Amino acid sequence: MLASFDTHLFWEVLHSGPYWKGALLAIGLTCASLGAACLIAFPLALGRASRRRAVRALVFVYSWFFRATPTLLLLLIVWDVLPQLWRVFAGSWFTPFFAAFVALSLNEAAYMAEIIRAGLLSVDPGQELAGRALGMKRWQILRRVIVPQAVRIVIPPTGNEFITLLKLTSLASVISVHELLTAAQEQASIKFSFPEVYGAALVYYLVIVSVLMFLQSRLELRFTFRSRGRRATVPLPVAAHDAR
Amino acid sequence: MTDAVLRADGVEKSYDGLKVLDQVSLDVARGQVKVIIGPSGSGKSTLLRCLALLEPVDAGAVYLDDERLSDLKERELAAHRSEIGMVFQRFNLFQNMSALRNVMTALVDVRRLPKREARERALEFLDRVGLADKADSYPEELSGGQQQRVAIARALVMRPKAMLFDEPTSALDVELVREVLEVMEGLARDGMTMVVVSHELRFAQHVASSILMMDQGKIIEEAPPQQFFSAPRHERTRRFLALVE
Repeated sequence: MLASFDTHLFWEVLHSGPYWKGALLAIGLTCASLGAACLIAFPLALGRASRRRAVRALVFVYSWFFRATPTLLLLLIVWDVLPQLWRVFAGSWFTPFFAAFVALSLNEAAYMAEIIRAGLLSVDPGQELAGRALGMKRWQILRRVIVPQAVRIVIPPTGNEFITLLKLTSLASVISVHELLTAAQEQASIKFSFPEVYGAALVYYLVIVSVLMFLQSRLELRFTFRSRGRRATVPLPVAAHDAR
Repeated sequence: MTDAVLRADGVEKSYDGLKVLDQVSLDVARGQVKVIIGPSGSGKSTLLRCLALLEPVDAGAVYLDDERLSDLKERELAAHRSEIGMVFQRFNLFQNMSALRNVMTALVDVRRLPKREARERALEFLDRVGLADKADSYPEELSGGQQQRVAIARALVMRPKAMLFDEPTSALDVELVREVLEVMEGLARDGMTMVVVSHELRFAQHVASSILMMDQGKIIEEAPPQQFFSAPRHERTRRFLALVE
Protein backbone atom coordinates (compact mmCIF):
# COMPACT_ATOMS: atom_id res chain seq x y z
CA MET A 1 0.00 0.00 0.00
CA LEU A 2 1.13 3.52 -0.63
CA ALA A 3 2.21 5.29 2.55
CA SER A 4 0.32 8.42 1.66
CA PHE A 5 -1.68 9.14 -1.46
CA ASP A 6 -4.52 11.58 -1.08
CA THR A 7 -6.85 10.58 -3.91
CA HIS A 8 -9.06 13.55 -3.25
CA LEU A 9 -6.16 15.98 -3.59
CA PHE A 10 -5.05 14.16 -6.73
CA TRP A 11 -8.43 14.75 -8.42
CA GLU A 12 -8.55 18.30 -7.20
CA VAL A 13 -5.17 19.11 -8.69
CA LEU A 14 -6.07 17.26 -11.89
CA HIS A 15 -9.08 19.53 -12.37
CA SER A 16 -7.42 22.73 -11.25
CA GLY A 17 -7.26 25.81 -13.45
CA PRO A 18 -3.46 26.17 -13.54
CA TYR A 19 -3.12 22.58 -14.81
CA TRP A 20 -5.71 23.00 -17.54
CA LYS A 21 -4.26 26.31 -18.61
CA GLY A 22 -0.74 24.97 -18.38
CA ALA A 23 -1.63 21.97 -20.53
CA LEU A 24 -3.42 24.08 -23.14
CA LEU A 25 -0.46 26.43 -23.22
CA ALA A 26 1.97 23.54 -23.72
CA ILE A 27 -0.17 22.02 -26.49
CA GLY A 28 -0.71 25.40 -28.14
CA LEU A 29 2.97 26.29 -28.02
CA THR A 30 3.95 22.86 -29.36
CA CYS A 31 1.46 22.90 -32.25
CA ALA A 32 2.24 26.50 -33.21
CA SER A 33 6.01 25.96 -33.07
CA LEU A 34 5.90 22.69 -34.96
CA GLY A 35 3.64 24.21 -37.63
CA ALA A 36 5.90 27.22 -38.08
CA ALA A 37 8.96 24.96 -38.02
CA CYS A 38 7.54 22.91 -40.91
CA LEU A 39 6.91 26.08 -42.91
CA ILE A 40 10.49 27.25 -42.38
CA ALA A 41 11.93 23.77 -42.87
CA PHE A 42 10.36 23.06 -46.26
CA PRO A 43 12.29 25.75 -48.18
CA LEU A 44 15.39 24.79 -46.17
CA ALA A 45 15.01 21.18 -47.28
CA LEU A 46 14.62 22.27 -50.91
CA GLY A 47 17.52 24.68 -50.53
CA ARG A 48 19.91 21.92 -49.57
CA ALA A 49 19.50 20.46 -53.05
CA SER A 50 19.77 23.85 -54.76
CA ARG A 51 22.11 24.31 -57.69
CA ARG A 52 23.27 27.63 -56.24
CA ARG A 53 26.12 27.36 -53.77
CA ALA A 54 25.08 30.44 -51.81
CA VAL A 55 21.68 28.89 -51.07
CA ARG A 56 23.23 25.62 -49.94
CA ALA A 57 25.67 27.53 -47.70
CA LEU A 58 22.82 29.54 -46.15
CA VAL A 59 20.93 26.37 -45.30
CA PHE A 60 24.06 24.85 -43.83
CA VAL A 61 24.71 27.88 -41.61
CA TYR A 62 21.10 27.85 -40.39
CA SER A 63 21.14 24.22 -39.43
CA TRP A 64 24.60 24.52 -37.88
CA PHE A 65 23.66 27.55 -35.76
CA PHE A 66 20.34 26.32 -34.42
CA ARG A 67 21.49 22.80 -33.75
CA ALA A 68 24.57 24.00 -31.90
CA THR A 69 22.72 26.51 -29.73
CA PRO A 70 21.11 25.00 -26.61
CA THR A 71 17.34 25.52 -26.65
CA LEU A 72 17.44 27.07 -23.19
CA LEU A 73 20.06 29.59 -24.27
CA LEU A 74 18.07 30.37 -27.41
CA LEU A 75 14.98 31.12 -25.30
CA LEU A 76 17.02 33.50 -23.15
CA ILE A 77 18.53 35.17 -26.19
CA VAL A 78 15.15 35.77 -27.80
CA TRP A 79 13.47 36.95 -24.60
CA ASP A 80 16.28 38.88 -22.86
CA VAL A 81 18.86 39.79 -25.48
CA LEU A 82 16.72 40.93 -28.42
CA PRO A 83 14.87 43.70 -26.47
CA GLN A 84 18.21 45.12 -25.31
CA LEU A 85 19.58 45.18 -28.84
CA TRP A 86 16.48 46.42 -30.68
CA ARG A 87 13.82 48.57 -29.09
CA VAL A 88 11.02 47.06 -31.22
CA PHE A 89 11.25 43.90 -29.14
CA ALA A 90 10.70 45.88 -25.93
CA GLY A 91 7.05 46.56 -26.84
CA SER A 92 4.16 44.95 -25.02
CA TRP A 93 3.35 42.83 -28.10
CA PHE A 94 6.49 40.80 -27.46
CA THR A 95 4.99 38.44 -24.89
CA PRO A 96 6.78 35.51 -23.25
CA PHE A 97 4.54 33.12 -25.19
CA PHE A 98 5.45 34.77 -28.50
CA ALA A 99 9.15 34.79 -27.62
CA ALA A 100 8.98 31.09 -26.75
CA PHE A 101 7.13 30.43 -30.01
CA VAL A 102 9.84 32.21 -32.02
CA ALA A 103 12.72 30.45 -30.25
CA LEU A 104 11.20 26.97 -30.44
CA SER A 105 10.15 27.39 -34.11
CA LEU A 106 13.59 28.51 -35.23
CA ASN A 107 15.22 25.72 -33.27
CA GLU A 108 12.82 23.01 -34.42
CA ALA A 109 13.03 24.05 -38.09
CA ALA A 110 16.67 22.95 -38.16
CA TYR A 111 15.62 19.41 -37.23
CA MET A 112 12.47 19.33 -39.35
CA ALA A 113 14.52 20.37 -42.39
CA GLU A 114 16.51 17.14 -42.12
CA ILE A 115 13.34 15.07 -41.73
CA ILE A 116 11.63 16.70 -44.70
CA ARG A 117 14.75 16.34 -46.81
CA ALA A 118 14.88 12.63 -46.05
CA GLY A 119 11.20 12.39 -46.99
CA LEU A 120 11.73 14.13 -50.33
CA LEU A 121 14.76 11.96 -51.08
CA SER A 122 12.79 8.80 -50.35
CA VAL A 123 10.51 9.38 -53.34
CA ASP A 124 11.62 7.38 -56.40
CA PRO A 125 13.27 9.71 -58.97
CA GLY A 126 11.17 7.91 -61.61
CA GLN A 127 8.15 9.79 -60.25
CA GLU A 128 9.64 13.16 -61.16
CA LEU A 129 10.83 11.84 -64.51
CA ALA A 130 7.32 10.68 -65.37
CA GLY A 131 5.92 14.07 -64.39
CA ARG A 132 8.44 15.88 -66.56
CA ALA A 133 7.73 13.56 -69.49
CA LEU A 134 4.07 14.55 -69.26
CA GLY A 135 5.00 18.22 -69.48
CA MET A 136 4.28 19.06 -65.84
CA LYS A 137 6.20 21.93 -64.30
CA ARG A 138 8.54 21.41 -61.37
CA TRP A 139 6.22 22.93 -58.76
CA GLN A 140 3.29 20.92 -60.11
CA ILE A 141 5.27 17.70 -59.76
CA LEU A 142 6.33 18.73 -56.27
CA ARG A 143 2.81 19.54 -55.15
CA ARG A 144 0.88 16.72 -56.78
CA VAL A 145 3.36 13.87 -56.70
CA ILE A 146 6.45 14.28 -54.55
CA VAL A 147 5.12 16.03 -51.44
CA PRO A 148 2.11 13.69 -50.90
CA GLN A 149 4.44 10.70 -51.11
CA ALA A 150 7.07 12.31 -48.87
CA VAL A 151 4.44 13.10 -46.21
CA ARG A 152 4.00 9.39 -45.54
CA ILE A 153 7.69 9.11 -44.67
CA VAL A 154 7.76 12.37 -42.73
CA ILE A 155 4.82 11.63 -40.37
CA PRO A 156 6.44 9.17 -37.89
CA PRO A 157 9.60 11.21 -37.14
CA THR A 158 7.44 14.34 -36.95
CA GLY A 159 5.37 12.60 -34.26
CA ASN A 160 8.62 12.14 -32.35
CA GLU A 161 9.47 15.79 -32.80
CA PHE A 162 6.05 16.74 -31.44
CA ILE A 163 6.73 14.78 -28.28
CA THR A 164 10.22 16.24 -27.88
CA LEU A 165 8.88 19.72 -28.42
CA LEU A 166 6.05 19.18 -25.92
CA LYS A 167 8.66 18.37 -23.30
CA LEU A 168 10.86 21.28 -24.37
CA THR A 169 8.03 23.73 -23.74
CA SER A 170 8.75 23.30 -20.02
CA LEU A 171 12.01 25.16 -20.64
CA ALA A 172 9.91 28.18 -21.44
CA SER A 173 9.26 28.51 -17.72
CA VAL A 174 12.57 30.41 -17.52
CA ILE A 175 10.96 33.21 -19.49
CA SER A 176 7.83 33.00 -17.33
CA VAL A 177 5.59 30.98 -19.61
CA HIS A 178 3.34 29.09 -17.21
CA GLU A 179 2.96 25.80 -18.96
CA LEU A 180 2.03 22.47 -17.39
CA LEU A 181 5.26 21.54 -15.64
CA THR A 182 5.66 25.02 -14.18
CA ALA A 183 2.12 24.79 -12.82
CA ALA A 184 2.99 21.42 -11.26
CA GLN A 185 6.12 22.79 -9.60
CA GLU A 186 4.17 25.72 -8.19
CA GLN A 187 1.54 23.40 -6.76
CA ALA A 188 4.26 21.20 -5.31
CA SER A 189 5.87 24.10 -3.51
CA ILE A 190 2.50 25.09 -2.03
CA LYS A 191 1.13 21.68 -1.08
CA PHE A 192 4.24 19.57 -0.50
CA SER A 193 2.27 16.53 -1.68
CA PHE A 194 4.58 15.43 -4.44
CA PRO A 195 2.94 12.12 -5.43
CA GLU A 196 -0.47 13.71 -6.10
CA VAL A 197 0.84 16.89 -7.71
CA TYR A 198 3.42 15.28 -10.04
CA GLY A 199 1.19 12.27 -10.63
CA ALA A 200 -1.51 14.58 -11.97
CA ALA A 201 1.02 16.27 -14.30
CA LEU A 202 2.13 12.87 -15.53
CA VAL A 203 -1.48 11.97 -16.38
CA TYR A 204 -1.72 15.07 -18.58
CA TYR A 205 1.41 14.17 -20.52
CA LEU A 206 0.26 10.56 -20.95
CA VAL A 207 -3.14 11.69 -22.26
CA ILE A 208 -1.69 14.29 -24.64
CA VAL A 209 0.79 11.83 -26.14
CA SER A 210 -1.89 9.12 -26.42
CA VAL A 211 -4.15 11.45 -28.39
CA LEU A 212 -1.20 12.39 -30.59
CA MET A 213 -0.41 8.73 -31.29
CA PHE A 214 -4.03 8.09 -32.25
CA LEU A 215 -4.10 11.09 -34.60
CA GLN A 216 -0.78 10.02 -36.08
CA SER A 217 -2.03 6.55 -36.96
CA ARG A 218 -5.12 8.07 -38.60
CA LEU A 219 -2.92 10.43 -40.59
CA GLU A 220 -0.64 7.60 -41.68
CA LEU A 221 -3.65 5.69 -42.97
CA ARG A 222 -4.78 8.79 -44.84
CA PHE A 223 -1.44 8.85 -46.65
CA THR A 224 -1.35 5.15 -47.42
CA PHE A 225 -2.23 5.03 -51.06
CA ARG A 226 -4.75 2.22 -51.39
CA SER A 227 -8.35 2.27 -52.48
CA ARG A 228 -11.03 2.46 -49.81
CA GLY A 229 -12.54 -0.92 -50.59
CA ARG A 230 -9.21 -2.64 -50.22
CA ARG A 231 -8.42 -0.81 -47.03
CA ALA A 232 -11.63 -2.00 -45.42
CA THR A 233 -10.96 -5.61 -46.27
CA VAL A 234 -7.60 -6.10 -44.63
CA PRO A 235 -7.37 -9.89 -44.52
CA LEU A 236 -8.22 -11.26 -41.09
CA PRO A 237 -5.71 -13.62 -39.57
CA VAL A 238 -6.63 -17.14 -40.56
CA ALA A 239 -8.20 -18.93 -37.63
CA ALA A 240 -6.07 -21.69 -36.26
CA HIS A 241 -7.13 -25.14 -37.34
CA ASP A 242 -9.38 -26.64 -34.74
CA ALA A 243 -7.84 -29.97 -33.79
CA ARG A 244 -10.66 -31.31 -31.65
CA MET B 1 10.98 19.89 -94.97
CA THR B 2 10.92 16.19 -94.37
CA ASP B 3 8.00 13.95 -93.50
CA ALA B 4 9.68 12.95 -90.24
CA VAL B 5 7.58 13.45 -87.13
CA LEU B 6 10.54 12.92 -84.87
CA ARG B 7 14.12 13.36 -85.91
CA ALA B 8 17.52 13.20 -84.27
CA ASP B 9 20.38 14.80 -86.13
CA GLY B 10 23.96 14.07 -85.09
CA VAL B 11 23.07 13.81 -81.42
CA GLU B 12 25.96 13.51 -78.99
CA LYS B 13 25.82 12.97 -75.28
CA SER B 14 28.49 12.31 -72.66
CA TYR B 15 28.37 11.55 -68.96
CA ASP B 16 31.55 12.29 -67.01
CA GLY B 17 33.63 12.25 -70.15
CA LEU B 18 32.16 8.95 -71.32
CA LYS B 19 30.52 9.23 -74.73
CA VAL B 20 27.11 7.57 -74.50
CA LEU B 21 25.71 8.83 -77.81
CA ASP B 22 28.07 9.39 -80.71
CA GLN B 23 26.67 11.19 -83.77
CA VAL B 24 23.30 9.49 -83.68
CA SER B 25 20.85 10.37 -86.44
CA LEU B 26 17.39 8.93 -86.76
CA ASP B 27 14.25 9.73 -88.74
CA VAL B 28 10.84 8.52 -87.69
CA ALA B 29 8.16 9.18 -90.31
CA ARG B 30 4.46 9.41 -89.48
CA GLY B 31 3.03 6.02 -88.60
CA GLN B 32 6.39 4.30 -88.54
CA VAL B 33 7.40 1.94 -85.77
CA LYS B 34 11.12 1.77 -85.09
CA VAL B 35 12.44 -0.88 -82.77
CA ILE B 36 15.87 -0.34 -81.24
CA ILE B 37 17.89 -3.27 -79.94
CA GLY B 38 21.40 -3.51 -78.58
CA PRO B 39 23.42 -4.55 -75.55
CA SER B 40 23.02 -2.73 -72.24
CA GLY B 41 25.10 0.41 -72.11
CA SER B 42 24.85 0.91 -75.87
CA GLY B 43 22.93 4.18 -75.40
CA LYS B 44 19.38 3.05 -76.24
CA SER B 45 17.74 4.52 -73.17
CA THR B 46 19.75 7.71 -73.37
CA LEU B 47 18.71 8.15 -76.99
CA LEU B 48 15.07 7.75 -75.99
CA ARG B 49 15.43 10.29 -73.20
CA CYS B 50 16.99 12.76 -75.58
CA LEU B 51 14.11 12.22 -78.02
CA ALA B 52 11.66 12.74 -75.14
CA LEU B 53 13.42 16.05 -74.39
CA LEU B 54 14.20 14.81 -70.88
CA GLU B 55 17.97 15.10 -71.38
CA PRO B 56 19.73 18.03 -73.00
CA VAL B 57 21.99 17.02 -75.89
CA ASP B 58 25.66 18.05 -75.98
CA ALA B 59 25.67 18.45 -79.76
CA GLY B 60 23.27 17.88 -82.63
CA ALA B 61 19.54 18.45 -82.40
CA VAL B 62 16.14 16.86 -81.89
CA TYR B 63 13.25 17.93 -84.12
CA LEU B 64 9.55 17.39 -83.61
CA ASP B 65 7.53 18.12 -86.75
CA ASP B 66 10.59 19.93 -88.12
CA GLU B 67 10.75 22.26 -85.15
CA ARG B 68 14.16 22.28 -83.51
CA LEU B 69 13.42 21.70 -79.84
CA SER B 70 16.61 20.56 -78.23
CA ASP B 71 17.96 24.11 -77.82
CA LEU B 72 14.93 25.42 -75.95
CA LYS B 73 15.08 26.50 -72.33
CA GLU B 74 13.65 24.24 -69.63
CA ARG B 75 10.61 26.47 -69.23
CA GLU B 76 9.67 26.27 -72.92
CA LEU B 77 10.47 22.56 -73.13
CA ALA B 78 7.75 21.46 -70.68
CA ALA B 79 4.92 22.17 -73.12
CA HIS B 80 6.64 20.28 -75.93
CA ARG B 81 7.34 17.23 -73.79
CA SER B 82 3.61 16.67 -73.50
CA GLU B 83 3.50 16.16 -77.28
CA ILE B 84 5.74 13.12 -76.98
CA GLY B 85 4.48 10.14 -74.98
CA MET B 86 7.00 8.24 -72.90
CA VAL B 87 6.57 4.82 -71.33
CA PHE B 88 9.18 3.63 -68.84
CA GLN B 89 10.58 0.24 -68.01
CA ARG B 90 9.46 0.55 -64.39
CA PHE B 91 6.08 2.14 -65.24
CA ASN B 92 6.64 5.14 -62.91
CA LEU B 93 2.95 5.52 -62.18
CA PHE B 94 2.29 8.19 -59.56
CA GLN B 95 2.07 6.04 -56.44
CA ASN B 96 -0.20 8.46 -54.59
CA MET B 97 -2.90 8.49 -57.26
CA SER B 98 -5.53 6.05 -58.46
CA ALA B 99 -5.27 4.78 -62.04
CA LEU B 100 -7.85 7.34 -63.12
CA ARG B 101 -6.03 10.24 -61.46
CA ASN B 102 -2.76 9.08 -63.00
CA VAL B 103 -4.30 9.39 -66.43
CA MET B 104 -6.19 12.65 -65.88
CA THR B 105 -3.71 14.68 -63.87
CA ALA B 106 -1.64 16.05 -66.77
CA LEU B 107 -4.84 16.85 -68.70
CA VAL B 108 -5.76 19.18 -65.85
CA ASP B 109 -2.28 20.53 -65.03
CA VAL B 110 -0.75 20.74 -68.50
CA ARG B 111 -3.67 20.86 -70.94
CA ARG B 112 -5.80 22.94 -68.56
CA LEU B 113 -8.90 20.84 -69.18
CA PRO B 114 -11.81 21.15 -66.73
CA LYS B 115 -11.84 18.24 -64.28
CA ARG B 116 -15.08 16.73 -65.60
CA GLU B 117 -13.84 16.62 -69.15
CA ALA B 118 -10.43 15.30 -68.08
CA ARG B 119 -12.09 12.54 -66.10
CA GLU B 120 -14.27 11.49 -69.04
CA ARG B 121 -11.35 11.41 -71.43
CA ALA B 122 -9.17 9.55 -68.93
CA LEU B 123 -11.86 6.90 -68.49
CA GLU B 124 -12.14 6.55 -72.25
CA PHE B 125 -8.40 5.87 -72.51
CA LEU B 126 -8.39 3.49 -69.55
CA ASP B 127 -11.10 1.60 -71.39
CA ARG B 128 -8.94 1.54 -74.47
CA VAL B 129 -6.23 -0.36 -72.59
CA GLY B 130 -8.92 -2.58 -71.06
CA LEU B 131 -8.74 -1.20 -67.52
CA ALA B 132 -11.90 0.87 -67.08
CA ASP B 133 -12.84 -1.36 -64.12
CA LYS B 134 -9.54 -0.55 -62.38
CA ALA B 135 -10.03 3.23 -62.45
CA ASP B 136 -10.11 3.51 -58.66
CA SER B 137 -7.25 1.12 -57.97
CA TYR B 138 -3.90 2.42 -56.80
CA PRO B 139 -0.68 1.34 -58.55
CA GLU B 140 0.39 -1.02 -55.78
CA GLU B 141 -2.92 -2.85 -56.12
CA LEU B 142 -2.31 -3.55 -59.82
CA SER B 143 -0.17 -6.18 -61.50
CA GLY B 144 2.90 -5.06 -63.42
CA GLY B 145 1.11 -5.57 -66.73
CA GLN B 146 -1.87 -3.53 -65.58
CA GLN B 147 0.41 -0.77 -64.30
CA GLN B 148 2.19 -0.60 -67.62
CA ARG B 149 -1.14 -0.39 -69.48
CA VAL B 150 -2.21 2.49 -67.23
CA ALA B 151 1.14 4.15 -67.98
CA ILE B 152 0.44 3.76 -71.70
CA ALA B 153 -3.03 5.27 -71.25
CA ARG B 154 -1.51 8.14 -69.28
CA ALA B 155 0.84 8.96 -72.18
CA LEU B 156 -1.80 8.38 -74.89
CA VAL B 157 -4.43 10.61 -73.31
CA MET B 158 -2.26 13.63 -74.14
CA ARG B 159 -2.69 12.74 -77.84
CA PRO B 160 1.06 12.75 -78.48
CA LYS B 161 2.58 13.02 -81.94
CA ALA B 162 4.83 10.07 -81.16
CA MET B 163 5.16 7.42 -78.45
CA LEU B 164 8.47 6.27 -77.00
CA PHE B 165 8.78 2.97 -75.13
CA ASP B 166 11.85 2.24 -73.01
CA GLU B 167 11.97 -1.54 -72.55
CA PRO B 168 8.27 -1.59 -71.61
CA THR B 169 8.12 -5.31 -70.89
CA SER B 170 11.50 -6.11 -69.34
CA ALA B 171 10.31 -5.53 -65.76
CA LEU B 172 7.32 -7.81 -66.24
CA ASP B 173 6.69 -11.43 -65.35
CA VAL B 174 6.66 -13.59 -68.46
CA GLU B 175 2.90 -14.15 -68.47
CA LEU B 176 2.18 -10.40 -68.26
CA VAL B 177 4.29 -9.42 -71.27
CA ARG B 178 1.61 -10.45 -73.76
CA GLU B 179 -1.09 -8.03 -72.54
CA VAL B 180 1.24 -5.06 -72.84
CA LEU B 181 2.51 -6.06 -76.27
CA GLU B 182 -1.09 -6.47 -77.47
CA VAL B 183 -1.86 -2.89 -76.51
CA MET B 184 1.26 -1.73 -78.33
CA GLU B 185 0.41 -3.75 -81.43
CA GLY B 186 -3.03 -2.15 -81.40
CA LEU B 187 -1.42 1.28 -81.32
CA ALA B 188 0.85 0.41 -84.23
CA ARG B 189 -2.15 -0.79 -86.26
CA ASP B 190 -3.91 2.50 -85.54
CA GLY B 191 -0.99 4.30 -87.13
CA MET B 192 0.77 5.67 -84.04
CA THR B 193 4.33 6.81 -84.64
CA MET B 194 6.50 4.81 -82.26
CA VAL B 195 10.07 4.25 -81.16
CA VAL B 196 10.45 1.13 -79.06
CA VAL B 197 13.51 -0.08 -77.20
CA SER B 198 12.81 -3.76 -76.73
CA HIS B 199 14.24 -7.20 -77.09
CA GLU B 200 10.87 -8.75 -77.91
CA LEU B 201 11.98 -9.90 -81.33
CA ARG B 202 8.63 -11.48 -82.25
CA PHE B 203 6.96 -8.15 -81.59
CA ALA B 204 9.63 -6.41 -83.66
CA GLN B 205 9.12 -8.85 -86.52
CA HIS B 206 5.36 -8.25 -86.54
CA VAL B 207 5.05 -4.49 -86.21
CA ALA B 208 8.39 -2.80 -86.85
CA SER B 209 8.88 -0.71 -89.96
CA SER B 210 12.56 -1.11 -89.33
CA ILE B 211 14.89 -2.40 -86.66
CA LEU B 212 17.94 -0.51 -85.46
CA MET B 213 20.96 -2.03 -83.83
CA MET B 214 22.88 0.14 -81.39
CA ASP B 215 26.35 -0.51 -80.07
CA GLN B 216 28.73 1.77 -78.18
CA GLY B 217 26.62 4.88 -78.69
CA LYS B 218 26.16 4.41 -82.42
CA ILE B 219 23.42 3.06 -84.65
CA ILE B 220 25.39 0.44 -86.54
CA GLU B 221 22.62 -1.05 -88.63
CA GLU B 222 19.06 -0.29 -89.69
CA ALA B 223 16.89 -2.54 -91.84
CA PRO B 224 13.30 -3.80 -92.24
CA PRO B 225 12.63 -6.84 -90.01
CA GLN B 226 12.77 -9.42 -92.81
CA GLN B 227 16.18 -8.33 -93.92
CA PHE B 228 17.44 -7.54 -90.42
CA PHE B 229 16.79 -11.05 -89.13
CA SER B 230 17.58 -13.06 -92.24
CA ALA B 231 20.65 -11.21 -93.42
CA PRO B 232 22.18 -8.90 -90.82
CA ARG B 233 25.07 -7.08 -92.41
CA HIS B 234 27.04 -6.43 -89.29
CA GLU B 235 29.03 -9.05 -87.46
CA ARG B 236 28.10 -7.41 -84.11
CA THR B 237 24.39 -7.69 -84.95
CA ARG B 238 24.76 -11.36 -85.82
CA ARG B 239 26.46 -12.12 -82.53
CA PHE B 240 23.86 -10.15 -80.57
CA LEU B 241 20.90 -11.83 -82.27
CA ALA B 242 22.41 -15.23 -81.56
CA LEU B 243 22.47 -14.33 -77.86
CA VAL B 244 18.95 -12.91 -77.68
CA GLU B 245 17.20 -15.69 -79.60
